[in-house]
Amino acid sequence: MLYLSGIGSLPPGFPAIGTTSYKHSGEIIQQEMYSYKTGIPQIDQATGGFDAGTNLLILAPSLSLAEELAYILARPLPGEYAIMLSTNERASEVIDQFRVVGADKSFVGVIDAITKSSTPTITDTGRFMFVTNPTDLTGIGIKFSQMLETIFDGTFSGKETGLFPPPIRFCINSVSTLLMYRKLEVLYQFLHVMTAKLKKVEGFGIYILNSEAFDERTVSLIKQLMNIVIEIKVERSDNYFRVMGIHGINADWHKFTTSKGQVVMAL
Amino acid sequence: MISTGMYGIDDMLGGGIPEGSRVLYSLDPGVDGQLFMISTLVSALEKGQSCLAIIPHTTVDAFLHDSEQLRGMAIRAEDHRIVFLDSVDRERIQRSSSSIDAAEKEWQVRIRKLCAENKVEVIFGYFDIIYEDFGFEKGLRLLSPDCCLPRSTIIIEHLNFEGDMFLESLAVRQSFDLILAIKASFRPLPHFNYFTILYTSWSTQLRRSIPFLVKNGRVVPYIPKIVVTGPPEAGKSRFVASATELGVSVDRAGPGRDATTVAMDFGWLHWQDFDITLYGTPGQPRFDPMLPVILNNAMGVVLLVDATNREQLGRARHLYKLIAKMHVPIVVAANKKDLPGPMSEEELRKGIGIGKGVPIFLISAQRKDDVRAVLESLVDSITRFVY
Repeated sequence: MLYLSGIGSLPPGFPAIGTTSYKHSGEIIQQEMYSYKTGIPQIDQATGGFDAGTNLLILAPSLSLAEELAYILARPLPGEYAIMLSTNERASEVIDQFRVVGADKSFVGVIDAITKSSTPTITDTGRFMFVTNPTDLTGIGIKFSQMLETIFDGTFSGKETGLFPPPIRFCINSVSTLLMYRKLEVLYQFLHVMTAKLKKVEGFGIYILNSEAFDERTVSLIKQLMNIVIEIKVERSDNYFRVMGIHGINADWHKFTTSKGQVVMAL
Repeated sequence: MISTGMYGIDDMLGGGIPEGSRVLYSLDPGVDGQLFMISTLVSALEKGQSCLAIIPHTTVDAFLHDSEQLRGMAIRAEDHRIVFLDSVDRERIQRSSSSIDAAEKEWQVRIRKLCAENKVEVIFGYFDIIYEDFGFEKGLRLLSPDCCLPRSTIIIEHLNFEGDMFLESLAVRQSFDLILAIKASFRPLPHFNYFTILYTSWSTQLRRSIPFLVKNGRVVPYIPKIVVTGPPEAGKSRFVASATELGVSVDRAGPGRDATTVAMDFGWLHWQDFDITLYGTPGQPRFDPMLPVILNNAMGVVLLVDATNREQLGRARHLYKLIAKMHVPIVVAANKKDLPGPMSEEELRKGIGIGKGVPIFLISAQRKDDVRAVLESLVDSITRFVY
């Protein structure tokens, strides 16, 4: 899909655009592809950001900085949108978390799988949608499509920039909770659909999975759907991450912490 | 007959769903198709039928609220004959059952009891979680004649992860009397939903795929874009004006000549339950750079030519080649049949290079009936198109 930045150049502060090319009817077509900045200096400096259509798994133990990292990765930069499927926190808490990492909440949508169980009469708005519980994959899929449609229609935030296709970050917090409600096989199929859709709309998907709570087969199956895995480990209260799946970046462990919505690399 | 609650679909089914049928509404993941089930439920309740809703994915309160939001009509236990088995029941069954077989039996006991006590005529089952708990065949056994009253109608909504082959196998095995698949496509336009009547046991109609949108709590069949193109002076603006109830044309009149379209014609019509939007292109070659933009995402194209103007056949041929590359349904309409010396169908086919598969109509764009016949043919082709 051709990336159109409207007429003229991108406004200041907009993320970079890379190029990709393919052959069509014997002719080489060059396309501009959007790159999603991660906020992780090592990755952004080496790659210029993740390609549109990337699906990334954060594989981390409990009580690590996985969630903070996910919010940093999911934070919409100027011109971007974020959709969070929350199975652990209410929509209001999700928005608070995005505020902490410096996101403009006008560009954040939440599919909340928590609140409706206690408040059944809560009504969907354009940016906040509710399903009764994480078992309702039909409802989750529909709400996700509806949000995508409003973003594509240009009616999501009321402050649209006109970028097309609109860059969308999508985060599931967390796959672990979904796995508690649904069988692995079903969830695999569901995630297969979601990751494929993200590729189609040239979005960027972020998925959190607890590395300690599931067996090897489960982790391996979920990994199959991803392009990139960020693994986190905690040693003596220090957090380390390593990135797997990016050409040119080695899989060394890096000590890190997060502060004011930034990933801070420790020496 | 039980109405689906969707007028156009009832027509396609020959009046609705025969009582005692087993119906499958199959939803592809992410497709906004929940209104199909809700519309049928509301329709059955309005008819005074006694219904059981099996909703293991949600609670009764949340379901009632969502239904009202979707359909714009409240379902009330005091006004309607409806009973539920919801997520709370599922939890209780899971907690109290030591095995899958025990859980299956418990579901059957509860369904049988509710059906008998309430003389349930129609069962609405949300099957996604039942399918996961028991598998498809075992899940269907929960709704077998052992559990339900004889001649009960069973309507199931299923989230289809298995794809078309699964539905085809159900059609071959005649597991259902009606299989209606609700799907989405990114082509010819992004986020486009459609439904297909895959199988009916009571008729042998053609499979059709009908694009739809959800508007004011209704499923509305629609065709977001039909483009009318053709050489200059062929009568495109007249065609759009005759076809539509409301529309505009961006024209410019020069000294000593009639107005000609310089941007596009645009019109809307509601016809045969479809909401249709028509776009007319300018015919002058100098506007050709605009054509790809106007043709983009079209679901069908009318190539309109002047049946009396042989000099324009070259231009028509050029336009036909352009639209044929889009691989969408095309109909050719030869206008001005009422003027002297119109070309024959054979002459037009040869002159423009049209194969036998593309229909040609000789029309007068001033006659609404002629214009509607062209649209009818194109809509027919669009609904038979494989997306």
